Amino acid sequence: MTKNTRRLLVLFIKNLIFLNVDRQFAYYNIITMWTQQEQQELTEILKKYPADRKMSAVLPALYLAQREKNWLADEDIEAVAEALDISPTHVHSVIGFYTLFRKEPTGKYLVQVCTDLPCALRGAEAFYQRLCQRLGLSPQGGTTADGLFTVEEVVCIAACDKAPCAQINLEYYENLTDEQMDGVIEQLRKQG
Amino acid sequence: MTNEITLTIDNIEVTVPQGTLIVEAAKKIGKEIPVFCYHGKLEPVGMCRMCLVEVGTPVIDQTTKQPTLDAHGKPIIRFAPKPVTACTTPVSPGMAVKVDSEAALADRKAVLEFLLTSHPLDCPVCDKGGECPLQDLTTRHAAGTSRFDYEDKQHFPKKYPLGDLIVLDMERCIICTRCVRFQNEIAHDPVLAIEERGRHAHIVSYSKPKFNSHYSGNTADICPVGALTTRDFRFGARSWELTNVPTVCNHCGVGCNMVLGTRHGEIKRVMPRQNELVNEIWLCDKGRFGHHFNGSPQRLTKPLVRDGEEFVETSWDEALKMIAENFASIKETNGAAAMGGIAGAHLSNEDLYLFQKFFREVIETHNLDHRVGLSAMLEDDTAYTVGVGVGTNLGQVGKETAILVVGSDLDQEAPILYLRVAAASFKRGAHLINAGGRRTKLDAQAKVTLRYRYGTAPYLAWGLVSAVVKQGLAKDLQGFPLNEDDFGGLPDYSATKVAAITGISVAEIEATAKAFASAPNGIVLFGLEAGHDPSLRAALETLVLITGHAGKPNNGIIAVLPQANSRGAADMGILPHRLPGYVPIASGGGLSAQEMLADGSPIKTMLIAGADPAVESETYRNTLSNLDFLVVQDLFLTETAKLASVVLPAKSVAERDGTFTNLERRVQAFEVGLPLAKGEAWADWLIIASIARHMGADWGYASADGVMAEITQLVPLYRYMKFENLVAPTALERKTAHYIYEGLSFTAEVREGLQWPTLAEDKTAKVPFRFIPPAEIQNPKPNLILVAPRVLYDDGRLLAESEVVKNHLVKPMVWLSRADAAKLGIADGEQVTMSRHGVAVTVPVQIHRLLNEGVAVLPRNLAGRLAEQLVGAGVYAEVEIQPVRN
Repeated sequence: MTKNTRRLLVLFIKNLIFLNVDRQFAYYNIITMWTQQEQQELTEILKKYPADRKMSAVLPALYLAQREKNWLADEDIEAVAEALDISPTHVHSVIGFYTLFRKEPTGKYLVQVCTDLPCALRGAEAFYQRLCQRLGLSPQGGTTADGLFTVEEVVCIAACDKAPCAQINLEYYENLTDEQMDGVIEQLRKQG
Repeated sequence: MTNEITLTIDNIEVTVPQGTLIVEAAKKIGKEIPVFCYHGKLEPVGMCRMCLVEVGTPVIDQTTKQPTLDAHGKPIIRFAPKPVTACTTPVSPGMAVKVDSEAALADRKAVLEFLLTSHPLDCPVCDKGGECPLQDLTTRHAAGTSRFDYEDKQHFPKKYPLGDLIVLDMERCIICTRCVRFQNEIAHDPVLAIEERGRHAHIVSYSKPKFNSHYSGNTADICPVGALTTRDFRFGARSWELTNVPTVCNHCGVGCNMVLGTRHGEIKRVMPRQNELVNEIWLCDKGRFGHHFNGSPQRLTKPLVRDGEEFVETSWDEALKMIAENFASIKETNGAAAMGGIAGAHLSNEDLYLFQKFFREVIETHNLDHRVGLSAMLEDDTAYTVGVGVGTNLGQVGKETAILVVGSDLDQEAPILYLRVAAASFKRGAHLINAGGRRTKLDAQAKVTLRYRYGTAPYLAWGLVSAVVKQGLAKDLQGFPLNEDDFGGLPDYSATKVAAITGISVAEIEATAKAFASAPNGIVLFGLEAGHDPSLRAALETLVLITGHAGKPNNGIIAVLPQANSRGAADMGILPHRLPGYVPIASGGGLSAQEMLADGSPIKTMLIAGADPAVESETYRNTLSNLDFLVVQDLFLTETAKLASVVLPAKSVAERDGTFTNLERRVQAFEVGLPLAKGEAWADWLIIASIARHMGADWGYASADGVMAEITQLVPLYRYMKFENLVAPTALERKTAHYIYEGLSFTAEVREGLQWPTLAEDKTAKVPFRFIPPAEIQNPKPNLILVAPRVLYDDGRLLAESEVVKNHLVKPMVWLSRADAAKLGIADGEQVTMSRHGVAVTVPVQIHRLLNEGVAVLPRNLAGRLAEQLVGAGVYAEVEIQPVRN
């Protein structure tokens, strides 16, 4: 059972049962959101922290929760909160502070292109617009129809001297030309 | 002294303890450093930058390690190149601080310009206007204009419901995080946080329901701007138009001090009044929002007399005459033994004193009681002997104190007490032991959690006593040597035996006994869920006596009593077997409430004041409807009142004055907030005195403080409790002209009330030991125990009148553990039938992630009184459970 079918199942069950009460204390995680592999990794992560300071693991736990589909649904956030014994509000606050955690559906590959002044002087702005055009997206960016790529314009990824540059998930691609970028996109498409 | 530090602030010398923050040191010399994010009760964070000051330290000569001196022989001060935050910087020796220098004033001006970049400046329509630190400091320190681009303002929704009770206007927020920190550090409900960053940062709550906390109203108080407002007071009045009257909360036994803000004969809002010995500066949401009963249109306004099935209005004179005649004739025909009285434990001491005097002197019977409803069967006499010592302050106890909580969910039963006990452990390191049959919120702050089987609390307590004795930790008592004889009658409660009964390990029992006995101070709190077995009280008394934790401040027992004046009701002798001041009655006394209301009771007539026994059981209702003559005095036409022959309208707590005694035995006065009572309502003491006068008694009471004056004469425990002593204002060291910076209203007067001393504090009296064997455990391995605890938002008559908290009232439902639900094969929301002794009750199930197996929870005092039908006047019972299958 993949994680998505499990999520659908959970949503289905949640709609079936009557939840008018404080879910902090309710038995709402009928099926845990973690896969077996993730559960093991989470256990490994938690070993690095004292038992009463589980909240320190919030960043690695969020990376883990976000890994499969590249964004965090409410269920993922609640699963992280429960695993670390902290409130969902606290987890939301951490997500809100860091730009690499996303709460809206996002493509498998998040392509962030800096178009701020130094990068723009090296042609990043036009590079970004051509990229959007080639992927069939509006100039505001967005997610491709196949759900593989989300493109967005950002302010500074600390690589002005190597512009135009793009951060794709956690990897940097620098001194890009359109051809090189097409190559990267092609390669990622193949990976699926 | 090494731990005292001397520094100068604007050239004024001041000496403060090491570790003091500059902002606090400045207060000491009356210099106010403006703050927003800093709050004396919260950890400093230095977020708002409003308190920027110039700070310099003496230049130290590296060779001599001494301050370098200038030509005049004074140390040369080197000022830091940038201003520092006074709220996060501790003082250091020889430090020089410039608060009102040109640079500091310029910094303040600049910080305010930043804080106001997106602020709407809508003070004329803002609830905080007039008592707003931002408004105050802006007029004092800010520039008249802003250099920021108006078009660049951040916009947010203007009335975002952060929770059901609190409305957020994010445009007014300055991100000081006082609310977030209050929820994390004080309330221990971490349900608020900041989301996003920079100018997009905003306050969010993702708990379900949102802002799920019993303490949410306090965030609106401490909000230094108008960002958080309560739904109750929104656009209710301008703060300066309010008349502020000091009063005491009547919803639970903690006795929180509060201020009624009234206007045009209406309560507009309730704010906390500072009393560091009771509620500090906090109020729970029940106290804050549960005031609407005072102005309810459902209130009784005129005396009513029964005419067949109907009630007809009558005059006071007619009603009183009728009561007097009936009482007199029944006394003559059936004798005084056929008459009885029940007085609710939220009446004032004055009402209660006259109530018992009326029955004992005018009627001449001891048939009177207060133990119905939430107070049923709970009798606490430990306060008289070993209650917490005079001067106990839970707000200060720390490392040197062990606190043992037995069977109480403080967060639900006495919320402000929860805050203080949690802080004692969480902030100040007290050794908190939370013993209970199920998980409660306090577990998270406890150092040790003991989970006993329901009903075995007395065994645990005697087990602790035995373990203390066995470990040789028992002490002499107040100068009286401890004899072997004292324990002669004590049977074997060895840790091994007690462990088998309670389910707590031998090691835990021994460690707890050692920790409690060896701590310099020890406080025990026990609540309803520990059970009504008198053996428990005897055991806890013995425990505090042999460990020397009695008769001095910060030592002794606190019974977590349910009602505002439960303590006062016992003090005033609203008991069939005790006179005021815990004087036993030689003849044995009269009938208890249970006996008076039982089937076949000999009682023919009753006077019931502020109590509603008819809702509790069918037996009570039958007994009451079969009485020859029933008089009820109350605020509302309760179920009991509907059975009455005469119903008398009583004044509500806001319409009159009086005193309550809280669960730490602190007697506190409340004043008249609404001088015009609803209709023709009278204060309860006046009603009782008038009935007595109509029956020929020579009772000339004219005011509540007149009644109290008599109490001070006749009840030695209350000899200092004259109104003038109770309302004497106390000067606090931290009292400044600007209460509003801490979240209090301008006119909050500080009074601390007075505690009466316990027997243990009398150095010439020896408190006797008593051994009462615990009740036999009927079934050591019950299948399922149903617990009926008290919850904050129950279906109490007074709370029901507050529309604003309606969504919070607990709906009838039973909590089951995951394991028990799995055993029954039921899911959340499905129905179960629970039965006991032929009574069956069907309720929906809520599966509780943290509940232990074998325990089900159905709160008491909910609509339909389902829990009471099963467990009766007790708190827990073994029940059968069946899923309902369609």
